[in-house]
Amino acid sequence: MARRSVAATMPVKLWMLSAGLVLLSLAWGVLGGWIVSQHASAASDVVHVDEPLALAAQQMYESISDADVTATTTFLSGPEPPLASLQRYRADVAGAAADLARLKNAADGNQPLTAALAAFSAGLPVYTGYVAQAQTEYALGYPLTGGSFMQVASEEAHLVLLPAARTIYTLQDAALTAASSQATGVPLVIVAGVLAVVTGFALYRTQRWLTRRTHRVFNYGLVMASAALIVSVVWLLVTFAVARSDLAQGIGHGSRPAGTLAQASIDVQQARGDEILNLISRSGDTSFEQNFRSVRDQIGPGTGTLLAVAAAASRGQAVPQVTAAARDAASWYSANEQVYRLDLAAAYAAETKLVIGTGPGSSAAGYTQVESDISRAIADDLSTFQSSATAGASAFGPVEGVVIAAALLMAGACAWGLSRRLGEYR
Amino acid sequence: MAGRGRMLSMVVVAAFLLGLTACGSGTTGRAGGHLATASDGSPAGSAPPASSLTETGSTLLFPLMRTWAAVYHQQFPDVAISTAATGSTTGIADASGGTADIGTSDAYLSSGNLVKNPALLNIPLVISAQQVDYNLPGLGAGSHVKLSGAVLARMYEGTITAWNDPAIAALNPGVRLPAIKVVPVHRSDGSGDTFLFSSYLSTQDPAWNNTIGYGTTVAWPPVRGALARRGNNGVVAGCEAVSGCVAYVGISYLSQALAGGLGEAELANAAGRFVLPTAATISASVASFLSSTPPNETISMVDGPAANGYPIVNYEYAIVSTRQSDPLKARAIRAFLTWVITTGNSAPYLNQVRFQPLPAAVVTLAAQQIAQIS
Repeated sequence: MARRSVAATMPVKLWMLSAGLVLLSLAWGVLGGWIVSQHASAASDVVHVDEPLALAAQQMYESISDADVTATTTFLSGPEPPLASLQRYRADVAGAAADLARLKNAADGNQPLTAALAAFSAGLPVYTGYVAQAQTEYALGYPLTGGSFMQVASEEAHLVLLPAARTIYTLQDAALTAASSQATGVPLVIVAGVLAVVTGFALYRTQRWLTRRTHRVFNYGLVMASAALIVSVVWLLVTFAVARSDLAQGIGHGSRPAGTLAQASIDVQQARGDEILNLISRSGDTSFEQNFRSVRDQIGPGTGTLLAVAAAASRGQAVPQVTAAARDAASWYSANEQVYRLDLAAAYAAETKLVIGTGPGSSAAGYTQVESDISRAIADDLSTFQSSATAGASAFGPVEGVVIAAALLMAGACAWGLSRRLGEYR
Repeated sequence: MAGRGRMLSMVVVAAFLLGLTACGSGTTGRAGGHLATASDGSPAGSAPPASSLTETGSTLLFPLMRTWAAVYHQQFPDVAISTAATGSTTGIADASGGTADIGTSDAYLSSGNLVKNPALLNIPLVISAQQVDYNLPGLGAGSHVKLSGAVLARMYEGTITAWNDPAIAALNPGVRLPAIKVVPVHRSDGSGDTFLFSSYLSTQDPAWNNTIGYGTTVAWPPVRGALARRGNNGVVAGCEAVSGCVAYVGISYLSQALAGGLGEAELANAAGRFVLPTAATISASVASFLSSTPPNETISMVDGPAANGYPIVNYEYAIVSTRQSDPLKARAIRAFLTWVITTGNSAPYLNQVRFQPLPAAVVTLAAQQIAQIS
């Protein structure tokens, strides 16, 4: 009677164990696969969506800032503006419009982002309209009226376009940060690890239980399932570690210093704008010089400045470029000191020559050199980001399939292994 | 009848106050030596709230502002407006820093001002102009010497040294110009007047633009005997004292200059015509810019395209922040500025100082700006 009772409960227990292990195996496959897909998707978004959009927002800001500086400089250069300057202004506006279109297409209903894009979109034709009006007035021989329109255009850029572009960049940068965190975040991997441990423990305890009941050392199905679990877990963890390292490398030594340098570039353009607006306004207003000095202190060189932070974070070719930018910035500031001395003495002709002249030692040459240094450093940093982040995103490639295949193998192996024991009770 | 009576009282008060201004030397005041007040001059006619407003800024606008403030106080005794002739730069700084409710300026805000304080508005209150005066004994009464920007530039550079120089004579056929030395007079302080005058020289004379340029302060070429004087009063007085002088002066000082025996020049405009700063020529010049005036009314009108336009015209601006801490004060400011650009722009006020009223299109834009004050 007692023997019959044991015989009756063993198959049930085996069935239950088999079902439980199959379910655990499938849960591992589902959860592990989902976690891998989440990380892979986030990593892919970082490389192919969020970083390009953040870059587009950054470029859009820089384009308008550069357009403002270029248009104002062009206005100062005389009734026959240099073709290169006109082309640069048009390229800036075209670039801003292209980036705007890309950002609008990718906008996902985020209300602050949509509002900022709408503000930029509405302000861009207003800005270009004022610049065109300024150029027309100047061409017709009314330079002062043209100058006032250029001032209104510049105000549109500074009060409408640039704040909107900054908001857009801030939101896109936040999206990039969120995607980066998701791609490199540990919590989901911990959940996967916990499930793997639970599954492994269940396999181990089942094996032990069978050994005691059947006096067979190994159940080949369970051994096979355990091996598949170990392989898939190790594969997932190694892949995650490699991808995380690559992405962190790309973001920390590529994207972040590039963003810092982009801010430095924006500040350089703002300081240049102060220089030029001061030359145009001739109002005795010292706020331009104060602004220049304030922005200069943010750019660097010097401890804690944007250039110093970027130099510390950058790697490879970007480092000497940032160093060169710091050196050339110091030269530019010296030229600017001379500009404001001339302004104070109302020596406008000499000031104009120093501000927009292209000779060595001119403020224009200094500004151009600093901008060039920073642009090259940004390109190098972005190259670092692209290579590292792409490698990180690619690392996730086969692991999802491996986890799912391993889970299916585990489920099948568990069912097969325990069914052989069940067969002994028929 | 009631309207006529009110207008008459305004004229009387204005005339009275202008008399005080002419006699007094002080540059600060509280309308007529008393508190001047404002009321709701809005078309809706609702009385403005009891309030005390402060105005600082343009010395050129000060006499008119003081009159406006006094008359406004008469109409609306609960509103007091203090005025002070501190100069445009101080007026902008006071409005920007919140130490004055209204700043006034001969020039619109610079981009630097606006970028630093985007809440600031520049609202045209009235049209001003700048005259060029001279002291040439022996010229017939009512005669007006013709001068161009290029010739004035040579006079201020010191390359035209005598009034009978062929370059001046060529502009004035039939006029017996005296063989006396040219004595250029300019402002010693930074001023909107210097900005406007040097702007005119820069647009008409490329050489001046390339070497000296324009600004509130200019590096005047060293000319033997040249005079530097503070304020329009100082320039007029200096010119009256020296035969052969040539000077630039705000239009509101024309009566004073003529009374002192100075002559008034006809200036060459962009079309090459010589014109005096009359109501017709000033208005013609402004009219040519109406269609292109931007919503924030920042526009330079020096040497504009109007064939019969006077070449040195400008708006006198109120500088006000859109963000006021007190809603009642905001309403009082709106009411006063609305009154200024409507009732305050009528002839009894403006004729005293030879300013011109704002065109309807500019009043509309100004009203839209005033509505932003909250």
